[in-house]
Amino acid sequence: MEKKFLGQRIKRNEDPRILTGRAKYMADITYHNMLHAAFLRSDYPHAKLNSVDISAALEIPGVIAVYTAEDLGDLWHPGPVLVPAPHSIPGIKANSRTQIPIVKDIIHHQGEVIAMVVAENRYIAEDALAVIIVDSDPLPAVENIEDALKPDSPLVHEELGTNLATYVRQERGNFAEIKTKADYVLQQRFVMDRGGAGAMENRGFCANWEEDSQQLTIHCNTQSPSGLRNSMAAWFGIPEQRVRVVVPFVGGAFGPKVMTNQPEEVLCTFASIKLNRPIKWLEDRSENFIGTTAERMQVHDCEITFNKDGKVLGIRDSFLYDTGAFNPYTATIPLNTQTHTTGLYNIPVFLTEFTSVFTNKMIVSPVRGAGRTYGVFVMERMLDMVARQLDQDPTYIREINLIPADAKFPLETGIIAQDFAQFVLDSGNYPAVLKKAKDMIGYDDFKKNIQPKLRAEGKFIGIGLVLFTENTGVGPYEGAKITVGNSGKVFASSIYGTQGQGHFTVFAQIVADQIGCRVEDVIVETGDTDKFAWGTGTFASRGATVLGNAYHHTAKLVRAKILATASRLFNVPEDELELGDGVVRIADVPEKFIKMGDLATKANPMRGTIKPGTEPGLEATGFYAPPYGATAYGAAAAILEVDPISFNIKFHKFVFVDDCGTVINPMILDGQLHGGIQMGIGNSYFEKLVYDENAQLLNGSLMDYLIPRATDMPSKMEIGHLNTPSPLNPLGIKGVGESGTIPIPPLYCQAIEDAFNLPGLFISEVPLSPSVVYQLVENAKSKKQGELL
Amino acid sequence: MKIEGVFTFNGPRPVVWSVLRDVNILATAIPGETTLKPISDNEYEGTIKLKIGPVSGLFAGKLTVADEVPPESCTLIIEGKGGAGFAKGTGHIQLIELPDNKTQLKYIGDLGIGGKLASVGQRMIDSVAKSMIKGGFEKLEKEVANRL
Repeated sequence: MEKKFLGQRIKRNEDPRILTGRAKYMADITYHNMLHAAFLRSDYPHAKLNSVDISAALEIPGVIAVYTAEDLGDLWHPGPVLVPAPHSIPGIKANSRTQIPIVKDIIHHQGEVIAMVVAENRYIAEDALAVIIVDSDPLPAVENIEDALKPDSPLVHEELGTNLATYVRQERGNFAEIKTKADYVLQQRFVMDRGGAGAMENRGFCANWEEDSQQLTIHCNTQSPSGLRNSMAAWFGIPEQRVRVVVPFVGGAFGPKVMTNQPEEVLCTFASIKLNRPIKWLEDRSENFIGTTAERMQVHDCEITFNKDGKVLGIRDSFLYDTGAFNPYTATIPLNTQTHTTGLYNIPVFLTEFTSVFTNKMIVSPVRGAGRTYGVFVMERMLDMVARQLDQDPTYIREINLIPADAKFPLETGIIAQDFAQFVLDSGNYPAVLKKAKDMIGYDDFKKNIQPKLRAEGKFIGIGLVLFTENTGVGPYEGAKITVGNSGKVFASSIYGTQGQGHFTVFAQIVADQIGCRVEDVIVETGDTDKFAWGTGTFASRGATVLGNAYHHTAKLVRAKILATASRLFNVPEDELELGDGVVRIADVPEKFIKMGDLATKANPMRGTIKPGTEPGLEATGFYAPPYGATAYGAAAAILEVDPISFNIKFHKFVFVDDCGTVINPMILDGQLHGGIQMGIGNSYFEKLVYDENAQLLNGSLMDYLIPRATDMPSKMEIGHLNTPSPLNPLGIKGVGESGTIPIPPLYCQAIEDAFNLPGLFISEVPLSPSVVYQLVENAKSKKQGELL
Repeated sequence: MKIEGVFTFNGPRPVVWSVLRDVNILATAIPGETTLKPISDNEYEGTIKLKIGPVSGLFAGKLTVADEVPPESCTLIIEGKGGAGFAKGTGHIQLIELPDNKTQLKYIGDLGIGGKLASVGQRMIDSVAKSMIKGGFEKLEKEVANRL
């Protein structure tokens, strides 16, 4: 396999456009006759809607239309289930409720759309919202997931008779039995909340229905152009081929933009068809906090059983999950939690069960990390409990419980994953990642020589080291089309959404290696459904793995056509030809060559004949489908200091070690990890959506919802790599998009505990904040000796 | 949100009570620009213009006086709804006679807010509510002084 560009630190093809302000985002999309939409959203989390009086809004000059549920007629219905329940798991209970585009009778969460205004500009539209009179009667709201399952709880969906959304139980071995055989059994409650995605660019949608051509063109910053096309085609009864979705440059997505059939999408398309005008909507930050999607709280009740030597025998994890008012994504997040709990450890027995619960809150979607974070959090925290109980170093407890380097991969876990296939650890060297992280952070030296001195100086400085896995690159499939053009430029298109991951470069590297051209001569097109029709979307850290291998496969098909065409042209066998520098040449005869563009012209002649039975041009379409996800894994380690007055955190050293198999572009890989770590830091110490007991959001602005700033980041992140190629795909790639985010919360907990070194300080809830840590430390100081937890 | 506090009037309890229950006076104690008008002895309706931090707007409002025990206690219920959200407050008021012809007003209540008021104005609501209540009592205090 040619590997001239794969693995190189190549500057990004897309950056000149982005850095000089020439990249177009949703706000830049415009039509001369475009109208603007604004949405009236519910203030109440749960209410009965009696009436909506739009008469005053219609009188405002510049208002073109105001729509409520009645206007939709037969188009008013719940959206489809986006991800089905894992029905193959025995004993599953599944209640499904999906979003409706606009409230007709019952309001299920704050932020739900009650009315839509279409006006000549957004200012007029917003003014019109202010004079719409909504008559509604508030109902008791479901906020707390533990109370939601009690018999006297109010119900989010009255007709279900329960707030239970999904229940799944999976067991490897027999936990009840192993519990009686262990030297120790510890039990602990853990609570983890996760916030919104906080993308710099909010959602945006522009629908343009053209009556004459019967063509719907949608611009949207979606993660799933194909999913959006298919859903709008189905909703409005238009052939997919007459729906074109175009994704401009996107200012971050991180999960919520994978959702399709969202109310604003349906309503803007509806209005565009009705008015035969382009309709655009840009979500504002307040709407983003209440009207899009986020991740949410899990409450875990865990038990860990282990022997005196520190070997873990079994784990039980029973958890509740807040799925919000509707559950179109069903169980992806809690399934990811189940599959990532025991991770890279050798835990013979594992019982995991979850109940996801409807509440009167904005619905959930995966957010970077997507459920894996919770599993890693409870596992790493439980290993720290074992270390404390046995008075052992946390890294020793991890070392003796890791799956050994000589284990016979692939290893089946017996736990069904988010792709409904069994989670299989495909490859890896887990002891090596622990050792590398320990070496890079200087673990033993810090513990033995440095920390005692700093403690003697009165400093609160601690070290932490945690491990994780990330099941990446799941199916179903991705595809691509590659064409060598007359100019010699290579056009490589897929339907995949791109949001800053460097797709214009990494896929160009893969293609250039096969075609034998420069990386900058490969023009990568992403997210235009007219350029390539087939694919699923950007999620589950799957771009490099699934689409990367589709590009690799397709480029090989084009390479074969290049060789066959040149072989006929030069009348030499294919194995005497070589590709490189944008030309095909006869090996050993350097003056005998043809430029790739000229060969493309010869392969697609305008007169004469081509060889019967062959296809014109140098073009191919190809697909790649993985059997199941590829296992990335890694470790995060930090030395941090807690300021005893402000309780702010300062990192003295930060190390991240990752094994994502074959690396395409180390520079882009580092960037992915940096960004992921930033989100992990937010999830650990800053970001929390706070609701009152009536499910009212209390911090719906960036003034009160904190996102870490540059100064909250480690000044330097040292990144280490192991490279165990995945045996599942020809390039050996594993995903990395979410890795940085996953292990950070337990890292904070372990290092903060180590900094204070108080027997009574054990952290079981995240996100933390300076005031929370202050309280925990004060409580710990007042506990008696021997009260561990 | 729980709200409680005390305010001491320089006047005897019957005078304080008469001011509190004067339909033409009570509405003036609502801070902000208000058009609250009495529609009966114990009900007012109209609009209140409020500004809480970055959130401001016109609220359709209703004020009700309930559970009267003259001249000792009553309950005030205030409701407002508008483009920036909604608020509903219930305050139980108790008048206690003090020496030197003074009267202590004790209040304890619940304030529920929603919409933008809650999601954006939350961090300001506590201090704004306290200052609004204080401002209201100061207006009533002036009327008490006028009647002495």
